[in-house]
Amino acid sequence: MADFEERRSLLGDEDEGSLPSRQAARGPGRPLPAICDPSHLLHRIVVLIFMCFLGFGSYFCYDNPAALQTEVIQDMNLNTAKFMQLYAWYSWPNVVLCFFGGFLLDRVFGIRLGTIIFSLFVCVGQVIFATGALVNRFWLMEVGRFVFGIGGESLAVAQNTYAVNWFKGKELNLVFGLQLSMARLGSTVNMNIMGWVYSKVVNLVGSPGHTALGASLMIAAVTCIFSLTCALVLAFLDKRAEKILHKEQGKTGEVIKLTDVKDFPLPLWIIFIICVCYYVAIFPFIGLGQVFFIEKFNFSPAEARAVNSIVYIISAPASPILGFLVDKTGKNVIWVICAVVTTLASHMMLAFTFWNPWIGMSLLGVSYSLLACALWPMVAFVVPEHQLGTAYGFMQSIQNLGLALIAMAAGSILDTRGYLFLEVFFCACICIALMAVVMLYFVDYLRGGDLNRSASDRAKLHKEGTSDAEIKRRPSKLTEGEQARVTPMSAFGLRNRYLSRLGTQLPDHCSTHLSSLAHRSVLK
Amino acid sequence: MAAVKTNSCRVSSLFFLFSVFSLSQSLFNGGETFRRKLEVVLNPGRLSPPGGDLLHVRAVGDNDTLHYLFCSQGAPTLLLVHTNTTTSTLKVDWDKFLERNVSGSLKVEPESSIVYSKAVVVSRLLEYDDVNDTAEATSDLFPPYDLQNVSWSRMNLSGSSALLCSSALNNGSLCLQLSVFAEEGRDQPWPRLLHTGNSSQLAVWLDGVLPRATRSRFLLELQAAGGANPLNSVEVKRSIDDEYSPSVFQVSQWMSNSSEVGGFVQWRPVAYRRSSPALEEVTPCRHSSPRRPSDEAAVSAASGLIKAFYDEPETFALNVSFGLSGEPFYNSTRFLRWTVLVGVGAPPMDTFSPLVLAIMAVGLGTPMILLLLGGVYVCIRKRAAPSAAGYDPIN
Repeated sequence: MADFEERRSLLGDEDEGSLPSRQAARGPGRPLPAICDPSHLLHRIVVLIFMCFLGFGSYFCYDNPAALQTEVIQDMNLNTAKFMQLYAWYSWPNVVLCFFGGFLLDRVFGIRLGTIIFSLFVCVGQVIFATGALVNRFWLMEVGRFVFGIGGESLAVAQNTYAVNWFKGKELNLVFGLQLSMARLGSTVNMNIMGWVYSKVVNLVGSPGHTALGASLMIAAVTCIFSLTCALVLAFLDKRAEKILHKEQGKTGEVIKLTDVKDFPLPLWIIFIICVCYYVAIFPFIGLGQVFFIEKFNFSPAEARAVNSIVYIISAPASPILGFLVDKTGKNVIWVICAVVTTLASHMMLAFTFWNPWIGMSLLGVSYSLLACALWPMVAFVVPEHQLGTAYGFMQSIQNLGLALIAMAAGSILDTRGYLFLEVFFCACICIALMAVVMLYFVDYLRGGDLNRSASDRAKLHKEGTSDAEIKRRPSKLTEGEQARVTPMSAFGLRNRYLSRLGTQLPDHCSTHLSSLAHRSVLK
Repeated sequence: MAAVKTNSCRVSSLFFLFSVFSLSQSLFNGGETFRRKLEVVLNPGRLSPPGGDLLHVRAVGDNDTLHYLFCSQGAPTLLLVHTNTTTSTLKVDWDKFLERNVSGSLKVEPESSIVYSKAVVVSRLLEYDDVNDTAEATSDLFPPYDLQNVSWSRMNLSGSSALLCSSALNNGSLCLQLSVFAEEGRDQPWPRLLHTGNSSQLAVWLDGVLPRATRSRFLLELQAAGGANPLNSVEVKRSIDDEYSPSVFQVSQWMSNSSEVGGFVQWRPVAYRRSSPALEEVTPCRHSSPRRPSDEAAVSAASGLIKAFYDEPETFALNVSFGLSGEPFYNSTRFLRWTVLVGVGAPPMDTFSPLVLAIMAVGLGTPMILLLLGGVYVCIRKRAAPSAAGYDPIN
C-alpha cells in the first residue's frame, strides 16, 4: 500500500513547519507516528470519527420541526398544512439532486470541495431557518429548509464516498454500520433533546415566542457548524493522505443516464410504486406524530417525542439482524409483503384503537427496517448493473416528489378532517403499496423472475450462470448495454453491494458502493 | 400442490366475501330514517311579552312528543319535556308566568303523559385573572356575569333554530343558539356533534367581550334541574373518531348515574377561539364535578321557566372552564364558542363515516381480490402447464 520511497521523497519537498515533515524527522523506518500515518489503522479511526460526525448536524436538524411541532405551530401562528411545508421544502430540491448529487461530487467539485460546499449549505440553511424564526418570517424559514435540503441528502452521498475511499477493502462494513448508527443517533437525540433546549431558552428569554424558537434553532445550528468543521478537517486529512499515499480522490462512481428510464422493466416500476406509497406513510407521519400522541393518548410532550423516535431507535439494531435474515433466506417479495402488512397493521392499530402507541410504533420500526432490507436490494435483481445508478436515482427522486406532495396533503387533511382520517389516508397509501407488492409477486412469478427466489436457489442459479454464460458474454457486456440485460447478473455480488448499506455483515471484498443508497430513507 | 392451492383459494374467497358482507352491512345500517315533525312557535298565545321570549318547539314522533322550551325570562333556560303521546300540548298562563313567583303557570298536558323532563340553565359566566397561567380558577375571580340580570335581545328565529344574544355585555356580546333537530345529522361548524331526532344543540359564544385582565380566562356555570334521575355525574368517554372535530378524542356526558335511561347533556371537551376556526384555534376545556348548589331556591328564582314548570326541582351544577395552562388567553382572539347537546334517551355515539369505511373496504379489499385473481390465474396456469410442456428434458 504505502510506498515508503515515494512517501519520503514527497515529504522531503514539504515545508519545514508542516506537521508531517516534523514527524518525518523521527526515523527513517517509521517516518510518522501511527496516529498521523494515513495508512495506519489508528489514523483511520481518527478519520472515522470525523466522518461519523460529518452527517450528525444534518440528521440532527432534519427533524427539528417534528421535535418542536407544537412550539413551531404556536410561535409562528401556523396551521398544520403550513407546518408540513417545512418538510415539503426539504424534499423539493432532492427531486432533482438525487440525479445530480453524484455527478456534482465526481465531476464538478470533487469530493473534498463538494463535502465542504454541501456542509455549508446545511449550515447556512439551518441558520436561515433559525433566523426566519427569530424575525418571525415564515417564508424565510421555508427558504432555510430548501437550502438545508440542497445540502442534506447530498452530504450523505459525500459521507458514503469518503467512507469507501478510506475504508474500501478494510473495515468498510463496520464503517457503514457506524455511520448508520450516527445518523439514527442524530435523529433520536434531536427528538429527545430539542424540547428541553426550548424550555431552557424560554426560561432565559422570559416567555415562549418566535424569539425563543429562533434561539433554540440557532443552538441546533451549532451541530451543523460542528459538522462543517468535520468537513474541513476531513478535506485537510484527505488532501494530506493524497499527497502521502498518492491515491486518487474518492468518486461516487455513479452513472446516471436518463434515457435508461424507458428501458426499465415492469417489476421496477412496481417497486417504485411500493417505495413511494410506503415511505409517504412513514415520514410525514413521524413529522406529525408528536401532537398525535399528545392529543389522542394524553402523552406528555417528552413522552410523545420519545415514542416518536422509537422508530429510529428500533431500526438501529433491527436493520443488521433483518438484513442478515433476508440475505440468508432470499424470498424478498414475501419479506416485503410481510413488512407492508405489518406496517398496515401498526397504522390501523394507531388509528382504530387506544392501545399503547409504544406497541404500534415499535411494530412500525421493525417493519420499516424489514422493508428497507428487502425492498432496496430488489432493484439490483431487475436492472442490469450499468443502469443501477439511474434506477436508484430515479427511485429516490420520485420518492422525494411523493414525500413533498404527501407532506402537504397530510397537513391539510389533518387541518380539516382530523387524525382518524389522516391515519385512514396513510392506511390507504399502504394498501396501494400492498396491491403493488401483490402484483409484483405475480408478475415476478409469471415472468419466472429472480425476486422471490430463495437464497440457495439464487446461489445455484448464479453458479450455472457464471459457468456457461459469463465467459461467453463478458466482452459484450462491457461494450454494449443492450446485451448486458440478457446476461445473468452476478446476483451475489450485486446484492452484497446494496446490503452493505443496510448494515449486513459481508465479506469485505464484496463491498463496493453506490452513493444513491446513502439517502435518508434508506439510512434511517 | 395444486389441490392445496385451490383449497386456500376457496378459504380466502370465503373470508373475503364475509368481510365484504360485514362491511357493506355496517355501511347501510347507519341510514336508519327516523324523522320528527317540528312545530316552532314563539311566545305561544302572547305577542312579545316583556322580560324575554319563550320559544316552544313541538317535535312529534311516531308515538311520542318532545317539547323544547327555550326562554330568556331570567337566565337562559332550555326545558326538555318528553311525553308518550303525540297529542300532548303546552299551556301557558302568561300573567302568572310573567310574575315569576308561582309554579304551575306553564304546563304540558296531559301531565300523566310526561315521561321525562329536564331543564338546563346557563346561569353564570365567570372570569378570572390567570396570572401564573395555571388555568385553575381559585381566588382571582372577578365579579361574575349573572345571566339572569343581563338584558337579552329578542329571539331571532330561522327554521328550527333560535338565536339569543345579550345586548352589550362589556362591549361585546354573549350569544346562545338553540337548534332543534328533526332527524339524525351534524351541524356544519366544529365540533359537528352527532345529533338525533331526540336532541337539541345549544351553542354558547362570547364575542368581543372585553376581558377585565390581559390574562383572563372564562368559566361557564351550568345547572341541570328537575325531573327524575338528577344529572349527578359526568362520564368522559374516549372516542377514536375525531373526523368531525379534529384532534378531539373525548366526549363528556353529563347524565344520571342511575341505570335508568333518562336524558343526557353531551359535549366534546373543546371550545373554539374563532367563529370559523382552524385546528390551532381549538382550545381544550374541562369541567368540575356536578354539585348541588348551596341555595336551590335561587336556581328557580333565577330562571322563569324553572319556577313556572317545577315545584321544588332537584338541581346539580357544574362549571366548564375554557383553556388549559399554556394555551393562549381569551384576549388573543376575544372569541370563545362552546357547543353542547341536550336530549333524551341514550346519548348518540359517533360511528365511522361512510367515506372512512369505503376507503378501508376498498383499501383492504382490493389486495385481497388481486391475491384471489392472481391465485386463481396461477392455479389455472399450473394445471395447464404439464399438458403444454409434455416432455421433460432427457438429462
